[in-house]
Amino acid sequence: MEHSKQTQYSSAEKKDTGDSSSVLNGHFDGKPPGAESGAHRPAASVMESWREERTRSVEDNEMSLPSLAEAYTTILRGLGEDPQRQGLLKTPWRAATAMQFFTKGYQEKIIDVLNDAIFDEDHDEMVIVKDIDMFSMCEHHLVPIFGRVHIGYLPNKRVLGLSKLARIVEIYSRRLQVQERLTKQIAVAITEALQPTGVGVVIEATHMCMVMRGVQKMNSKTVTSTMLGVFREDPKTRDEFLTLIRS
Amino acid sequence: MNGHCNVKMSDAMEDIPFNNGFGDLIIDNKKSAAHRKHESSRKEAEDKSRLPALEAAYTSILRELGEDTDRQGLLRTPLRAAKAMQFLTKGYHETIDDILNNAIFDEDHDEMVIVKDIDMFSLCEHHLVPFFGKVHIGYIPNKKVVGLSKLARIVEIFSRRLQVQERLTKQIAMGISEALQPKGVAVVIEAAHMCMVMRGVQKMNSRTVTSTMLGVYLEDPKTREEFLTLSVHA
Repeated sequence: MEHSKQTQYSSAEKKDTGDSSSVLNGHFDGKPPGAESGAHRPAASVMESWREERTRSVEDNEMSLPSLAEAYTTILRGLGEDPQRQGLLKTPWRAATAMQFFTKGYQEKIIDVLNDAIFDEDHDEMVIVKDIDMFSMCEHHLVPIFGRVHIGYLPNKRVLGLSKLARIVEIYSRRLQVQERLTKQIAVAITEALQPTGVGVVIEATHMCMVMRGVQKMNSKTVTSTMLGVFREDPKTRDEFLTLIRS
Repeated sequence: MNGHCNVKMSDAMEDIPFNNGFGDLIIDNKKSAAHRKHESSRKEAEDKSRLPALEAAYTSILRELGEDTDRQGLLRTPLRAAKAMQFLTKGYHETIDDILNNAIFDEDHDEMVIVKDIDMFSLCEHHLVPFFGKVHIGYIPNKKVVGLSKLARIVEIFSRRLQVQERLTKQIAMGISEALQPKGVAVVIEAAHMCMVMRGVQKMNSRTVTSTMLGVYLEDPKTREEFLTLSVHA
């Protein structure tokens, strides 16, 4: 199977091939990508689909920096500021690098980050990693979202290195996101990596687009959750997970 | 503009005496209400005319970051982001005189007045990333008190700009001094900088505290102590 490197602008055309291209941020619909009704796909290609997610490289970053900086200079001028004053002289470059950092999730692939830290353990009790600080960018206003992620899963003979859960959160959160999609992407990635009995992900976050502008509600928080496998089917398991993350 | 705030804005106002020596910001008290309204509608039109250039810049940014600008979630993002940025920098359009709205009253009160825990949101001028926190303001009136919400509005004017926390603190203090000529003004800001939390050193719990003490708050340690106890430590 050929996995051609995705270019920045052609992802729209690749929507229909359904194979390795549909995991770009906006087209993720929760089903293992490439699954067609009635089609019988081997496990290997389902696994590979979520691997092909990198759309940017370090070289891409370096090449885009000048145009990003220019765009930011235009923005500064458009806001009525003077880009030549001392405090703003290097701001376009700093802002461009900062924005690239906030979207560095596009440069990383799950398979790279997991680093083979999947171990065979005869453990079938719930594993929870909670209070993982998460920082993302709202794709609608380009303004930060930040909060906490709580992840729980029931292993099925395979456990994951704990920090890898946090790294999965980092990959998906450092993108232009919508909180609902972020929650789902994290849950599905863990499912596809480990094939556990069940996965639960809860995110509680503050959206600066609601706090700093618009309705301006300082204390509001948005909570989203995704429950897969036994977490969805068995209310007692779900309850245990929700109680443990609350304490 | 922001960086030149300590320079006189209008030479025509030079003959107005300032005998408290707090600074050289000049406020034009003679503008009529009609003139002010005309100015704010001009600023709205100005904003609208700048929108296309901002939108184009944001579209270019999205592309350079590797995103697909035609996907549903991003279709109108350049417009939304441009408007959001204009909102977050709306302080450039406002002056103290506009918002004070003549809410200065003669009161024979000479005890400390504190308005604390004013939520503040600003943008770091170095990274264009938010920083936010709380502002505590105290002043000792000299026969003139100001409507309390006006202190919060003064915070809004100066914080809705590309800022540096030190400068923001000073501008708020100077703004209040100019408007009221009180016996003293104290401003303390405690904020979290997303440029330090979300990137760079990534220290989640760090806070930056800055303060400006003017007049009797600067000279008398007991007054300063009282303010800090009542606002920051309480």
